[in-house]
Amino acid sequence: MKTVAVIFGGRSTEHDVSIVTALASIIKPLELTKQYHVEAVYIAKDGSWYWDEKLKDIALYQSSKIEDFLHKAPKTHLLFDNGLTLVKSSQFAGRKMYRKIDLVFPAMHGTHGEDGELMGLLQMANVPYVGCGMSASAVAMDKVLAKQVAEAAGVESNPWIWFYTRDLARHHRQVMNNISNLKYPLFVKPAHLGSSIAISKVEKESELTNALEVAAHYDDKVVVEESVNNLIEVTLPVMGNDEPVPALLEKPAYKPGDYFDWDTKYMQGGKKGKMGNGDVVKGAQGYSQIPAKLPPDLYKKAEQLALSVYRAIGCSGIARVDLLIDSKTEKVYFNEVNPLPGSLYAHNWKAAGVSNVELVTKLVNYAQERWDAQQKIATSFSTNFLKQF
Amino acid sequence: MINSILEMYKLRFAETIVYMLQATEYQIGPYLRWLWRVADFGKVAHRKTLVKTPRSRLLLAFVKIGMTFQVIAALAWGLWSIKNGDPRGIFALDLLISTPIVWAHIVIMPLLLGRFLVANPYSKLQIARSAKIFANHPGVKIAVAGSYGKTTMKEILLTVLGEGKKVAATEANRNVAISHAQFAKQLDGDEDILVIEYGEGAPGDVAKFCRTTKPDIGIITGLAPAHLDKYKTLEAAGKDIFFLAKFLGDKNVYVNEESKSLRSFIKKSHQLYSSSYAASWKIEDIKASIAGVNFKMTKDGTSLRLSSSLLGRHQVGPLAVAAAIARDQGLTDKQIAEGIGKIRPFEHRMQPRDAGGAWIIDDTYNGNIEGMLAGLELLEELPAKRKIYVTPGLVDQGKESSKIHQALGKAIARANPNLVILMQHLITADIVAGINETGFKGQLVLEEDPLNFYTNLDQFVAAGDLVLLQNDWPDNYN
Repeated sequence: MKTVAVIFGGRSTEHDVSIVTALASIIKPLELTKQYHVEAVYIAKDGSWYWDEKLKDIALYQSSKIEDFLHKAPKTHLLFDNGLTLVKSSQFAGRKMYRKIDLVFPAMHGTHGEDGELMGLLQMANVPYVGCGMSASAVAMDKVLAKQVAEAAGVESNPWIWFYTRDLARHHRQVMNNISNLKYPLFVKPAHLGSSIAISKVEKESELTNALEVAAHYDDKVVVEESVNNLIEVTLPVMGNDEPVPALLEKPAYKPGDYFDWDTKYMQGGKKGKMGNGDVVKGAQGYSQIPAKLPPDLYKKAEQLALSVYRAIGCSGIARVDLLIDSKTEKVYFNEVNPLPGSLYAHNWKAAGVSNVELVTKLVNYAQERWDAQQKIATSFSTNFLKQF
Repeated sequence: MINSILEMYKLRFAETIVYMLQATEYQIGPYLRWLWRVADFGKVAHRKTLVKTPRSRLLLAFVKIGMTFQVIAALAWGLWSIKNGDPRGIFALDLLISTPIVWAHIVIMPLLLGRFLVANPYSKLQIARSAKIFANHPGVKIAVAGSYGKTTMKEILLTVLGEGKKVAATEANRNVAISHAQFAKQLDGDEDILVIEYGEGAPGDVAKFCRTTKPDIGIITGLAPAHLDKYKTLEAAGKDIFFLAKFLGDKNVYVNEESKSLRSFIKKSHQLYSSSYAASWKIEDIKASIAGVNFKMTKDGTSLRLSSSLLGRHQVGPLAVAAAIARDQGLTDKQIAEGIGKIRPFEHRMQPRDAGGAWIIDDTYNGNIEGMLAGLELLEELPAKRKIYVTPGLVDQGKESSKIHQALGKAIARANPNLVILMQHLITADIVAGINETGFKGQLVLEEDPLNFYTNLDQFVAAGDLVLLQNDWPDNYN
């Protein structure tokens, strides 16, 4: 039986979302397969690592018990010993406990986890892991790089500009001039954060400074983009390596003029944006229309564009591509890629005919398949360079 | 092993044995058989826990006080022996160690005494009184008997006949003599029709029920292995059930012809029902889907188009016979159609549930082979992206158990689900043998923890799936 380590938590504003993804959408179905021994590896908000069976219980995090646990539990260390091994004190006679990991299932969202940092570490350990690789994760989590890569692959974004946070003070006039070329209303976003954190909708110029400061507070890169007229916002979960498979285009349900912010997604169970008709289902992030009701040609076009972006960025395992559609012109714009969607977007996969248990099983298989392929790539090259030195 | 022995010395052991009694409906034989085969008392109350009722509270107090008294007596005797150097003090240790075993058996004493001194005389009195109530009641009395399908038939009759008549029916599955007596006490006396379910459990039961309730019409729903610990053979169970026909002089008796085991008991004067005909009505144009069944009944130029949300073609016979009886009782065609339309699937009996685009048919109260086969036919018939079948098999099938489960295995293979999940029990090997015999090509999974599986079923299904759950074993069969 393979041992799978599910890593979650982390130094990210999406720490709590990560816990739910790990416990409800990954650990539970993985254990139900009875094919894997699952280890819960939790990264606390201070960046310390812990590994314990108790970490699989959601109740631990819903009370102050987690603080007591972290205070008493031994921290976990990593050993790169022809793979990845977890190490911690047994708290008995100075002995240590070791657990060799066969495969890692990252459940991290946001910074220091979803953005490629964790993937780099796992790549160094040469252990198979689920989801996008290091470079794809880094590109996907940088909205600037993701848009540039998508554009290079022929997938357009709505008009946008970006700047480094430091330039907001140093080259303020230049930044404001660039922004003035865009048409209001605008969206101001930190380049690296997910879950719609610190995103502002700016209707007029007087609101711009405040929105820029909010975004700059959270990130070193800020994106400002035009809003899309007659907007239909859709998202498409995709999985697979060389031959990606789409789930169903999903349309988040919110009132016209509103947008899907953090509060709508996570804190109100989607109630803020509920359409109130029978077409919506409650998913991981509130109420949505699955599949999105679009004309068949437009649906197909959006699906193909999302798959093109998935391939262009080099995603593997799983990701979710967000698109913006102008319903009148039927023009589809790339918005962003999420390399590890919250709760794996299991509700959407389920509607597409993939059960939670099948989903995690497929993702583990994709991870193994990618790792097996990587092992065939030569990593050493014999030279007489050192002898000549 | 050590842990399972230590379980007997934990404080909760008293609650465990009272739970076992409650789970076996305070029947001493099944309780003792379960007690003697338990390997680990820590795992006994797995699916449910003790429900605190006056009877269970009283028994719990009795066991706890008794055990405490024995422990104190053993300790006192042991200490006294040590103090006085009496070697017989070693028996105090025996007394102490035997406490849980002794009280797991003594607990049946108050039940036995209560049964013989209070419950039985009281029941006899109540039943005798109810016989007078039934005899004097002016309403038409319909008795429903059979090893399966009784509750469904009773509920169908109640709903359909209730559209035009004042009808009273025995509650839920309360179908033994004392339940009939309690039902009689609650009657207003002006009901047009009484529907009485007969829950036979031992030879002679149906005869007793007939003599008490004095039915005018009898419906025999099916015969399958059940209560074979008492009946010994299916033939004996059939004879007992057909006492209802004998009591009625073989007139006004409706028999489900689709139950193969009933066929040898059928007489010419019996009226038969199936998915082809009901009494003198012809049935045709049956459409079955996840939404229910739709069919046409015709007789002497009269035609009725009926729709019900009950699932499966096997429901057409009972629905049609209820419609035929309703017409005989004077209900209009409109009332009959409305009544049939109002019937909803009964809890845990072919009850469909939408789980995010997947359909789960809960048939976990189905505990007979005929019902299982009918459910499997529906599974085969309904379209689905992926079909999943889940069952632990059947209990109390007597000497025929192996044969019945092999037949079940073959029927599962015929229904051709993509995935079969069998809850691991002693009979699993027989089901597997039946499945393998027919060259089943789907996936077969043996599940050791049914509760965990049922609790997490939503994790296994997705849109387009069709899942049929048949039968579920309570703790006392594990």
